Amino acid sequence: MYRWLWQRLPGGTTSKAVCAAILAITAAALLWFIIFPWITPQLPLDHVMPGG
Amino acid sequence: MRTVLRVFGECCVTAGAIVLLFLAYLLWGTALATSAHQHAFATQLQRQWQTHRDVRPATTRLHLVTGQPFAFIRIPRFGGSWRFAIVQGTGLAQLALGPGHVPGTALPGQVGNFAVAAHRVTAGNPFWHLNELRPGDKVMIITAATRYTYLITHTELVLPGDTAVLDPVPGRPHQSPREAMITLITCDPPWTGTHRIIVSGSLDAQTPHTGQHG
Repeated sequence: MYRWLWQRLPGGTTSKAVCAAILAITAAALLWFIIFPWITPQLPLDHVMPGG
Repeated sequence: MRTVLRVFGECCVTAGAIVLLFLAYLLWGTALATSAHQHAFATQLQRQWQTHRDVRPATTRLHLVTGQPFAFIRIPRFGGSWRFAIVQGTGLAQLALGPGHVPGTALPGQVGNFAVAAHRVTAGNPFWHLNELRPGDKVMIITAATRYTYLITHTELVLPGDTAVLDPVPGRPHQSPREAMITLITCDPPWTGTHRIIVSGSLDAQTPHTGQHG
């Protein structure tokens, strides 16, 4: 999976590394700012109210 | 076969990394957002209270708006820098801002049961150490003109369905209250929703204050 991705990144090793870092940061940002805030209230996690 | 195993392994590593990132988000990501709100609330309350004092000194009327702060809570056992603005309401949207006052329960200092709920984890972990409070510990609620000091009387674990802890006289639904009580609520054990930890106290002193916010 990752080898397949790595082979498709453009340029030499440096260029590939930069692209990989950008991809990883984008994925992390998507999780952190969009997916995690959306998923947190749906989890049975830390519900503090009696009756709720 | 090797390829299948490799892809499976990569998926596991990826899933692990996502779970770790999610943990970091719960511990620090949500805390950052809450602390930004709390900073804004502190400034907002100081300004409001200053205006109150200039216009009509020592007013005790509280104006409750869902999601808006109206008081500070301090618990000396949690350290001198531990202070949160209490907002009105205990929906997830309000608890993400800070500890919330349970709607319909008494106001600070009022005869009845002033109930405050807060997250154990996430949102800056306000009540992380709630289980460490002991009888005799102080809880201070600071409103525009008054500082209310409650003393902890007892701590108990209840099931999530037990709403009697919110009654004006906790656990006695049909009694009318004679005492000003406080009830602090969070989940127990941390991270879960299986139980609620309830810390109760009664009003010990109320003193006027003119300082910034005690």
